[in-house]
Amino acid sequence: MTPSPISVLAIDTTSEFLSLAVRAGDRPAASRYLLCGNGTSRVLFREIDALLAEVGIAPAGLELLLVAVGPGSFTGTRIGMAAAATFAQVTGRPLIGVDTLHLLAAQSFSNDGSRVHAVLNCVRDEVYHAPYVWRDGQLEAEAPIALSTIPELAAAVGDTPVVLRRFPPAPPEWDDDLARLKRAELRSSHPDGLLLLEAGIARFRSNRAGPFPRPEPIYLKSEAFRKWSPAAP
Amino acid sequence: MNTLGLAIDTTFDDTSVAILRGRREVLANLTLSQFADHAEFGGVVPERASRKHLQVIHPLMERALAEAGIGFSSLDWVAVSNQPGLLGSILVGMTVAKSLAYLLRLPLIGINHIEAHPYANFLVHGELPFPLMHLVAAGGHTLLIHQEHHFQWKIVGRSVDDAAGECVDKVAKMFGHPFPGGPVVDKLALAHEPAPHRFPRPMLNGPGLDFSFSGLKTAMLYFRRDNDLGGSGGFQEGPVIAAFFEAVTDVLITKTLRAAEKYGVAAVTVSGGLAASIKLRHGFEAACENAGMTLYYPPPALCTDNAAMVACLAAYRHEAGRHDTLELDGRANLVG
Repeated sequence: MTPSPISVLAIDTTSEFLSLAVRAGDRPAASRYLLCGNGTSRVLFREIDALLAEVGIAPAGLELLLVAVGPGSFTGTRIGMAAAATFAQVTGRPLIGVDTLHLLAAQSFSNDGSRVHAVLNCVRDEVYHAPYVWRDGQLEAEAPIALSTIPELAAAVGDTPVVLRRFPPAPPEWDDDLARLKRAELRSSHPDGLLLLEAGIARFRSNRAGPFPRPEPIYLKSEAFRKWSPAAP
Repeated sequence: MNTLGLAIDTTFDDTSVAILRGRREVLANLTLSQFADHAEFGGVVPERASRKHLQVIHPLMERALAEAGIGFSSLDWVAVSNQPGLLGSILVGMTVAKSLAYLLRLPLIGINHIEAHPYANFLVHGELPFPLMHLVAAGGHTLLIHQEHHFQWKIVGRSVDDAAGECVDKVAKMFGHPFPGGPVVDKLALAHEPAPHRFPRPMLNGPGLDFSFSGLKTAMLYFRRDNDLGGSGGFQEGPVIAAFFEAVTDVLITKTLRAAEKYGVAAVTVSGGLAASIKLRHGFEAACENAGMTLYYPPPALCTDNAAMVACLAAYRHEAGRHDTLELDGRANLVG
């Protein structure tokens, strides 16, 4: 039986880009993507309002909220999560979080059985990364998110294609090392809110009865990361 | 107008939510302090503060609504402190407030946290007679504000370096006391006669209304280094701290009354964390009585950062139709 369509808003503010997507029932989904830098807080609600108007739904009509929980810009992540959690609190609707590396891996083509390694730069000389595999159109994590140096990453990745996101400040001395990594073919060139919509709805459908624990932001960095114990995928 | 408003303050290390009916009826005023979260660092760590705000703001809002016995749909306006403070922390409160305003189609009111501090006095004393001279002695600021009417105010004196509260915290730390140092310094100052040593009163005799406390802090550092405390014939901690705090209160009281006189103001208010000091209050009471001035200060719970004072100012702003858009920005620095 085909699951009934629901109305969903997806918010990703974990990078310098604002990515939003909305689906209202069985109407086609709509999305927005814009470079905000430090201005996310200023434009967020204007953009959400425009997007909801585009698909003809009022905020009160939302049935599910999705949010990107990081890792990424600390402040950016908090803005998206504060907004999404408030929407969920006021409307009484579930809120589901999806991590940034999953969304990054989801930019690759979903060929069944294909593997992809998502890589996100940290501030200094380390990267966050995690391996994923596509199965039945769904992306599955094969190991928890790790924090490594570039040489460690190269050893871990091997020939697996990578999806790489770099946001400032990305050290230029990485250029040569990163150029050696095999790049995955992408269906989306940027952190697309539609991918968050896709991943979040899949999680919602797989656990429709709930409960939906409140998502926590992922702040992975140096010592904090070493103390963090991610749940096995 | 008996409107219902919700106010949020996350400017520094306290997460606070208040619900106000009309201008003064506080239905809830909940503040979650982060002292314990920052204790190991001896001061507030901005990133840690922002994380904590996000962690606690929604449960705190829920508790405030339950305490007030209302739901979100009963609210008429939403207010948030959008300056000055730690920008990462401010953005958490602002985003929550904007989300509420957007979802519930309510007016949004951005509040200057410093402007709000004196409104702790309006909350408990009712309408105050303008013009007023406010001393705001909050953690990061020591300011003299001349207010002619609601929303018409000007900073006429400010600390050119450390704020008084900051100086008190740091000196308390020099003597081995935990952050915040204000309560223990006040307790020692009340319990002891000041030592005969006269510590500096910076900028007290100059013509301006600005303050400086870093010289006093340095003087205490050298005094601490050069003197044996507690030994036979040496100085005792209590009297030394009392003498130090006497220097702080002398400067604050003298400058405030001088500002009031200069601007022809007959009523003075004291607010901010340091206003909770009983020693400072006693000093102000005596000085204002002597000068024939009226003095207002709030109860201690409303001296430190709280959303009730933000809500009170917001209620006046709402009545005056002074609302903001959802594009409201946060500011780390004080403008005014």
